Amino acid sequence: MSDKEDPFFVGYLPAPKSLRWFLAGVSLLLILAFPLFSWAVSVTQEDPGPSGYRFDFGRQTLTGTITLAPYPTLHVTEGSELVAAGETILLAGVGKFGVANRVSDFDGALATLQGIILDRGDLRMLQVAGGRRGVMAAEGEAPTLDIEPLGRWRLSGEICDGKCLAGAMRPGTGIGHRACAQLCLVGEVPPVFVASEPINGHEFFLIGTADGAPIGRDLIDFVGLYVEAEGEISLRGGMPVLIIDPETVESL
Amino acid sequence: MSFAATLVLMAEIWVWIGLAISALFLTIGIGRVDEDARGAYVFRPLLVPGIILIWPLVLWRWWIIETGRDDWAKRHQPPRAFHAQAWMVLAVVIPLIFLAALAARQSTELLTPPVLLEAPQ
Repeated sequence: MSDKEDPFFVGYLPAPKSLRWFLAGVSLLLILAFPLFSWAVSVTQEDPGPSGYRFDFGRQTLTGTITLAPYPTLHVTEGSELVAAGETILLAGVGKFGVANRVSDFDGALATLQGIILDRGDLRMLQVAGGRRGVMAAEGEAPTLDIEPLGRWRLSGEICDGKCLAGAMRPGTGIGHRACAQLCLVGEVPPVFVASEPINGHEFFLIGTADGAPIGRDLIDFVGLYVEAEGEISLRGGMPVLIIDPETVESL
Repeated sequence: MSFAATLVLMAEIWVWIGLAISALFLTIGIGRVDEDARGAYVFRPLLVPGIILIWPLVLWRWWIIETGRDDWAKRHQPPRAFHAQAWMVLAVVIPLIFLAALAARQSTELLTPPVLLEAPQ
C-alpha cells in the first residue's frame, strides 16, 4: 500500500528533504496571502459610520402618539435625556420583528413605550422591550401630526431595513447585508430608503406603500441593491416618509 | 410553494429520514458493523446529530460492510490521490470567485442626485 519513494509529511517528525522547500514556499505564501486578503477585503468595504444601540443611556421611557401607517412610529410628547419631545422615531421589536401587532390598539392615541434606542444621525428607532412594560396606555389627548408634502421625487439609493441601518448591524447596508435585511423586512421591521443625496436635509426615508400595507415581495427583491425609485415624499411629524411607487423601482 | 419554503420542507424531510435511520442504525446496525460498539450504549445518542446529517453515507457504509465488500485500506486511497488536483482547482477557483464578486458589485458612481418630478400641491 505504501510507496517508500513518495515523501510523507508528519507534523511531529522532521520534514522530508524533498518537501522542505515546498513547505517553506507554502508557509511563506500563506503568511503573505492572509494579511493581503484581509487588507483587500477591508479596503473595499465602506465605513459603516457611527451608529448602534445606545445601551449607554439605558432603557428609555417615551410617551407619544403612535401612528401605524405606513409602519409604526412614535411622535414623542414626553421624551428623555436622549430623545427630545417633538421627535418622531421608528419602532421595532426585539429580533427581526416589527411591533405592529403590539401597538395596533393605539393608532392615533397616546402610549408609553419602553426600550433601547438605536441611533444613526437623524435616524432613530426604539427597540420596544418585551412584556407589558414595553407598551402601556397613556393618559391625555394625542396631538395631531403635521404633514408637510415635499412633492414627487425620483431617488437613487438603497432600500434597507431600518433596524440594521440604525445600528443593529454594522454594516447594515449593501449586498453583504441583503439576506439579513430581507428577513427583517419579512418580519415587518420598518424599511428605509437611503438616498444618494439629502432632500430638505433628510437622507433616510421611511418607506410606505399607497395602501398603507407593509411592502411586498416585489420591493423586498430589491433590498441591498442600488436602485432608482419614484414616490411621494412628505414629513409626517418631522419623519421623512417616501410613499414608493413599486412599478418605478429598478436596479441600477 | 416558494423556493425558500421548498428548501425548508426538503430539510425537514431529510431530518425525519435521518432520525429514523439513526434509530435503526444505533439499535441494530452499529453492533453488526463495529464489534467494539457491542454492549456499549451510552455513547450512541451522541451519534444521532451526525447520522441525521450524513444518513445516506451511513446507509451506504452499512451496506458495504454488511455485504463483506469493505476494504479498509483502499477506502482512503481515492481521496488522497485526488487531493493534489482538488488543491489546484481550489487555488484557482477561490480567488476567481472573490474577484468576480468584487467585479459584480454595483458602483456608487451609478447613484444620481434626487430629482423633483412634481412640486407639492
